Amino acid sequence: MTLLSIELILFKLSLAFCALCTFGYLLSLLIKRVMLAKASTWVLMIAFGLLTVNLLTAFINSAGPLNLGSRDFFLFCAWAIAGLYLGFQFKTKTRSLGAFISPFILLLMIAAAGQETGKSLLPENLQSWLTTLHLAFAIIGEALFVLASCAGAMYVIQNGLLKHKKLGKMSRLLPSLHDLDRINHLCLLWGFPILTIGIIAGAVFAGMAWNTLWPTDPKIIWSLAAWVIYGFLLHQRLAIGWRGSRMAVLSCAVFILFLLSFFVVRFCFTTLHDFI
Amino acid sequence: MILLIGLNHKTAPLAVREKLFAGCEEKQNLLSDVLLLPGVQEVLYISTCNRVELVCVMDGEKETIQGAKRFLSQSGGLTDQEVADCLYVYRDRDAIRHLFRVTSSLDSLVMGETQILGQVKEAYRQALAQNATGLVLNRLLHRSFRTAKRVRTETAIAENPVSVSFAAVELAKKIFGSLVGKKIVLIGAGEMAELASVHLIGNGAEEITVANRSEAQGIAVAEKFHGKAILLENLDAAMIDADIVISSTGASGYVVTEESVRQSMRKRKNRLLFLIDIAVPRDIEPSADSIENVYLYNIDNLQDIVDENMKGRKKEALKAEGIVEEEVIHYNSWIKELEAVPTIVSLRAKAEGIVRQELEKSIGWMQKLSEEDREKVDNLVQSVVNKILHAPVAVMKEESSEVSSKGIVEAVRQLFRLDE
Repeated sequence: MTLLSIELILFKLSLAFCALCTFGYLLSLLIKRVMLAKASTWVLMIAFGLLTVNLLTAFINSAGPLNLGSRDFFLFCAWAIAGLYLGFQFKTKTRSLGAFISPFILLLMIAAAGQETGKSLLPENLQSWLTTLHLAFAIIGEALFVLASCAGAMYVIQNGLLKHKKLGKMSRLLPSLHDLDRINHLCLLWGFPILTIGIIAGAVFAGMAWNTLWPTDPKIIWSLAAWVIYGFLLHQRLAIGWRGSRMAVLSCAVFILFLLSFFVVRFCFTTLHDFI
Repeated sequence: MILLIGLNHKTAPLAVREKLFAGCEEKQNLLSDVLLLPGVQEVLYISTCNRVELVCVMDGEKETIQGAKRFLSQSGGLTDQEVADCLYVYRDRDAIRHLFRVTSSLDSLVMGETQILGQVKEAYRQALAQNATGLVLNRLLHRSFRTAKRVRTETAIAENPVSVSFAAVELAKKIFGSLVGKKIVLIGAGEMAELASVHLIGNGAEEITVANRSEAQGIAVAEKFHGKAILLENLDAAMIDADIVISSTGASGYVVTEESVRQSMRKRKNRLLFLIDIAVPRDIEPSADSIENVYLYNIDNLQDIVDENMKGRKKEALKAEGIVEEEVIHYNSWIKELEAVPTIVSLRAKAEGIVRQELEKSIGWMQKLSEEDREKVDNLVQSVVNKILHAPVAVMKEESSEVSSKGIVEAVRQLFRLDE
């Protein structure tokens, strides 16, 4: 059996497990049973393990670390989000958060399935260790913001239930406000510096390749805007003491805004980042 | 026969329960006294603030029931009228079902409460210590504990709080996650507010500050919780550090206004604040609930949660009754099987006797055989007897557990001449 076929089998398996855990998580919300969410977390853990091995084989298979396949790019995104979420599982008991995270992971996996296997992500002239660094950090940073926003979305729901004095099954299933706020806080706190490093790496590469740090590119402007707004949120949180429902609502709103603008940029403009 | 006789909160008013409870508690050797009653073989005595019950295993019918009734009425000094109105008598299947329902807390005042199981266990421990139980009750009690456990794990009957103070704890957990290290401010004093504080502290809350109009009263309450007392005027400062504020004063106006909450929220950097207003008329201005990160619950809100949970428990109780019924059938078939046991034992004994006799008779010619061959003959005879007995024994067990032991046991005794 060739390494490539192993990679393919691993990919299919992890896709199946991701689908299974997404289904489990969503069902747990529907029938309001924590047990199912717990089981789904285990399934996600298996999926994460498979993804890790899958990425490793892809890494060995590829021509070198600088030549990331475009499928692997999406896999890496899914892997980062799953890993970070599972990391939070150890800290807080927020299993039902998975119902919000796992659909994202599944979507990324499906996007990965849509990519050709052999195709490399970056055009040859852009391949460099700096771009790899740029990609990796940007992905992890964005993944943390995805988590922050998912926690924010759950916070908004739980907050609404508690404000309306409805302590029903749904409220019991969702994590406590404090835990959700903490996840939001930690994700912003870590996501911001990581994204910063990612952006700097990109800028340095741009400086070397095109002799300008900030090529005028819609996607770069979009990313800078995201960086500034997340920085603003983090500042308000740490210095002014914005927390709880306001932070939750804002993180959700900002996230939706960026998701929309991402698609607009992706399909309406040609950019230097067209490979994503 | 299993007999259960007693009274509970549904059948007897408090005065009668008290009388019987006190009367039974006074008796030093209650269990051995009951065992002396004619026909009583095993006994268990359960008493809680809501019920006094005797569970007996006895032979004989009317006389023994009358004896047990008389024993209880004499112990508690009950009048004939009270005996007729309050005492219930359950036999066999009904008695088993009642005991299972009691231990599963389906018969409790607060359905789903967990204390009763411990109380029955304690009663059983006492009976064991005095050798008052035997085969039937031991199995019955173990089965009832098993039933209670099944009800607890397979239904959600004990899941959601059905008291205001526990509802407050649950809410606090939904807001703060863990209550460890949380600070409570108690405004005024009242039974319910103090109870809520006790439960919050039991769940990890640490510091408690009591704000009161009178210093002396405040200190008295604070001492109970090892907390500190402050004057009501200094409440605003205390609210900056607090996580949970419980208010129950007799004041006619608002003790905590929206404005004061708003100001303290600014100073506490918007940390979550849980306000519980148990007072009537209300102490905390209702509009304070509109402030971000503030969660204000008044007594009606808490009561609504409790009512909702109570409804949920009633629904779960239906499931629990099903489990109880299953277990009753299970135990009942065992006890019926038990009736066939003496006959099975004597049937086996008779067969073994015959085998022994015949082997002794054959000792003369068997001596010619080698040791090994003799053993083989032994085994052969044994297995033939066992095979022949297997069917009647199995049928006897089945028939007794499913229908009744009477007919089949009589038939076997006649067929094999067991009574001669």
